[in-house]
Amino acid sequence: MSRATLAKKNALPLKEAGLFKELLSQYENRLLKKGLKTAEQILKKFPEHGETLCMKGLLLTHMGRREEGIDLVKKGIRFDLTSHICWHVFGLIQKADKNYEEALRSYTQALRFDSENINLLRDSAQLQTQLRLFDNLVETRHHLLRLRPNLRQNWVALAVAYHLNGNLDEAKRVIEQYLYSLKNVPNYDVELSETLLYYVNILEQSGDLSGALSELDTKSKSRAIVDRTAVLTTRARLLTKLASPEAGDSWKALIDHNPDNLESYRGYLADQGVSLDDPTSALEAIPHLKAFAKTYPKASVPVRLQLTILPASDPEFSTLITNYLERALKKGVPSIFADLKALYSDLEKRKIVETIAENIKQQNFAAVEEKPSKVDEQKEPTTYLWTLYFLAQHYSYVPPSTTVVPNHKLALEYVNNALSHTPTLPELYLLKGRILKRGGDFLGAASAMNEARILDGQDRFLNTKAGKYLLRAGMVEEASRLFGMFTKKDAESPGHDLEDMQSLLFLLEEGDAFKRVGKPNLALKRYMAVKKIFDTIEDDQFDFHGYNLRKFTLNVYLTLLTWEDTLRSHPGYVNAAIKASNIFVEVSDDPSIVKALTTTDHLSDAEKKARKKAKKAAVKAQEDKKSTQTSNADKELEAPPPKDDDPEGLKLIASTDGLEQAAKLLQPLTKLAPKNIDVWLAIHDVAIRRKKLLQAVGALHKAASLDAEHPELHIRLVDLKQRGKTFSDLPAPVNSTFTEELEKLIPEAASQSLENYNAQYLQRHSAESRCILAAAKVAKSLSGSVQDVENIVFNVFGPEVSLDIKTALSALSLLVSLSSQRKDEFRAAAQKHFEFSTAFKAPSELEEMHKYVLAESTADGKPASAESTTPEKK
Amino acid sequence: MGMQACNLQNLPENYALRFWLYHLMTWPQISFVAEDAKGQIVGYVLAKIEHPSEDDKEAHVHGHVNSISVLRSYRRLGLANKLMLLAQEAMTSIYHAEYCSLHVRRSNRAAIGLYRDSLGFEVAKVEKGYYGDGEDAFSMRLNLQNKNGFIN
Ligand SMILES: CC(C)(COP(=O)(O)OP(=O)(O)OC[C@H]1O[C@@H](n2cnc3c(N)ncnc32)[C@H](O)[C@@H]1OP(=O)(O)O)[C@@H](O)C(=O)NCCC(=O)NCCS
Repeated sequence: MSRATLAKKNALPLKEAGLFKELLSQYENRLLKKGLKTAEQILKKFPEHGETLCMKGLLLTHMGRREEGIDLVKKGIRFDLTSHICWHVFGLIQKADKNYEEALRSYTQALRFDSENINLLRDSAQLQTQLRLFDNLVETRHHLLRLRPNLRQNWVALAVAYHLNGNLDEAKRVIEQYLYSLKNVPNYDVELSETLLYYVNILEQSGDLSGALSELDTKSKSRAIVDRTAVLTTRARLLTKLASPEAGDSWKALIDHNPDNLESYRGYLADQGVSLDDPTSALEAIPHLKAFAKTYPKASVPVRLQLTILPASDPEFSTLITNYLERALKKGVPSIFADLKALYSDLEKRKIVETIAENIKQQNFAAVEEKPSKVDEQKEPTTYLWTLYFLAQHYSYVPPSTTVVPNHKLALEYVNNALSHTPTLPELYLLKGRILKRGGDFLGAASAMNEARILDGQDRFLNTKAGKYLLRAGMVEEASRLFGMFTKKDAESPGHDLEDMQSLLFLLEEGDAFKRVGKPNLALKRYMAVKKIFDTIEDDQFDFHGYNLRKFTLNVYLTLLTWEDTLRSHPGYVNAAIKASNIFVEVSDDPSIVKALTTTDHLSDAEKKARKKAKKAAVKAQEDKKSTQTSNADKELEAPPPKDDDPEGLKLIASTDGLEQAAKLLQPLTKLAPKNIDVWLAIHDVAIRRKKLLQAVGALHKAASLDAEHPELHIRLVDLKQRGKTFSDLPAPVNSTFTEELEKLIPEAASQSLENYNAQYLQRHSAESRCILAAAKVAKSLSGSVQDVENIVFNVFGPEVSLDIKTALSALSLLVSLSSQRKDEFRAAAQKHFEFSTAFKAPSELEEMHKYVLAESTADGKPASAESTTPEKK
Repeated sequence: MGMQACNLQNLPENYALRFWLYHLMTWPQISFVAEDAKGQIVGYVLAKIEHPSEDDKEAHVHGHVNSISVLRSYRRLGLANKLMLLAQEAMTSIYHAEYCSLHVRRSNRAAIGLYRDSLGFEVAKVEKGYYGDGEDAFSMRLNLQNKNGFIN
């Protein structure tokens, strides 16, 4: 902070002015307590000295007395509205609060009274970048460069500002001027190398391809550019864009540099006029790939690509896949199935792979079963094992958008067979767990995962999987105990550490588990924790707005900005946003959910005790944290994180602005995940409850354009039609547009008899279980007759219907919610349909079974609950 | 973020995303990832460069591997080996690193096999109780200068 301009109406006498200077330097040196004393010394004589009040307030905010501090700062500003120090302090606090808009406003005020203050300008530039106010950014960077033209980073900073603002010509001009002015740069200077690569990037983007190429070539030859990977990649890209005859060789050079990078092959082939996305054109790639496979026998890409391209009917495919598979199984490559399953969208290829693998199994069977003397040298027992492992995966896997019926029973047989030969291989238990999960036995699955974990207790991968499967089985506490084996011991709980470490996987899985076991408050809490992680990551870029410019790592910085701009398209965020918004919607429809959660009457004594204990522990942990933090306060400027006063998420779920929060969560997804139908459905659900009719119907239009027959859309359309009648109090134009738009989605004629409309839908999709379920739900809302619903729901067991576990479970919970008499009949039918499943057992039965999941192996070496799922037998 | 997720599943030593960003923003050229066919990250190596003292720059520049791991279902394919080689090459050709260092748990057989047997690292010293749970670390080093030489 500049200390120059004190000589105004608020000037202090000499002694105090000296003290104030001291105060500033004490703050800068993080001497908080001393600073506070100095401030108080000044205030004793001049209690209304604004700048001192502000400084004192600032110090307090760093010492854990936030509220008080902020009040003082505000008071200080009132006493001295024209002090840049006062506004700067206010800006600093707002910035620390991540309140970037307000902070920028304060900085702008401060600059009015001290327009050449470098610190203020630099901070403003960072704020403007964070807020993507690029016009203003250019201005600020210009100003900084005028004030300090000797500072090299000010030049690149201005160039980057122009670049971000879309003015490539100016960006180029500034960088050129800067490069021209550079003298005496040593060879192998990484900063210069990065700056030159940035310059090449600007040239390329502004369309000057040959300029970019010649700059790249001369500067890499003179060794001013030292990043070889970047040179090769950029060169190949530029030559291709220029359609130069050298392009092919440049891609070859890149392949030679790293023969495992698919993109280089793509680039090479594209340059040869071959497009991998067009099946007939792709065939022309084969001779090229063959040549590469010869040159780089260790690289897998050239062979693997041929497998994708060659048609199943081509004998070459069979030869190639046979070798490929045989080699992998002999070597014992565990990931070979994961690698090959992408081929399965072509069912013929799937069949060929199956035949080959079964053959390999037959051939190697001897190695295991027959006496050693007879065993063919070539045949290895481990090959047999890996083949069983491969085939088990094969039979239980359903390639997306195919009608393959999985054979979990056969898969289990294979895996158990493999296990009886080698009971110590964790992979086999992992697979067994996955098969059982697919078959609906979530408990047996968790148990198998736990067996795998026990076999290699040091491996966190196995631990994570076992924990995840326990969560899937609804055993939240047991999962937490497992996770705790690898989380920090001084964390408040394993979950807290995983949240601190930003584990989306954990938060989403635990959230889902809480939702399943009827704790929507905690589920919501976890989903919102995911949102907070994304907020944090968005804030994380802030410091890099200054840092990367100082380090001259400019290209990667621009990548960072783009990445941050599309951050929330991440599936973790999308998932959490939709699920959180669903809970907000449910609560808004049925406030009694919250009431049931907050009254403790229904809790057993034990549960009440546990709650009390947890509360106490949480308070204590907070206090422990606090005491260590205050002792560090003098060294660290980070304010302690505010303590969580809602660990159970009960206040959160009771928020009166739940729907507004939901709308905010979903808002970024309209641009970042517009192809996801669930996003539009969720947006509709929130909008209609907020009486934003046009937004609601608009969202359904988007959904319909993605999949007009989607079961969830069907439910909403009928619902909206019914609701439509109750919106008469809205302004006429809105109402008529709404009606018109709705009409396009569901014709007026249909609404004469929505029952008919529903029946037609059911008829159109009589073999799709999700559609049957949707029709049942619609019937419920139309007639309310339990019998109607039951009649429809039981169609899911029809012979042509493909039914999956998830849909069956939703159907069951629909029946349960209606207190249907036929729910047990449904359980039994589902049990018959999904042989291994435990998911349809009654809750009381399941609870009993939980006990066996983590039990150590029984005497016969089999995990306790995976084989026979009925505990009574034990 | 893919690197972070992969790390969380594989290793007990974890970091917030900021830490990962910091490395990538400072030394964007020396960290690498391995992806599966769908583009999901299945392995990574995160590395940094250390310049011990400002005035003595050229003499001691070295690379350090912070973290490396490969998802269990993609192990023993040579991925870690490749990732390490790429990182080492970049350390040498861009930063003139003299050697590459790293820490590894004394009990981590797979990793020690990778560093010592496949890549030629040697144990420089043992650091007692280096890890959070009290386990010792081997501090390992690989001389880069006479091994790879200068590429270019
Ligand atoms: C260590 C780890 C990264 C190795 O990954 P990887 O991709 O399987 O390793 P590679 O396939 O490249 O193996 C290279 C060499 O390492 C050695 N190696 C790898 N796994 C091994 C194991 N389980 N046992 C003994 N040696 C092993 C071998 O020498 C191997 O060469 P080879 O296959 O020709 O015999 C992986 O096991 C892992 O992610 N472990 C968990 C995380 C971890 O411990 N990281 C290290 C922290 S310092």
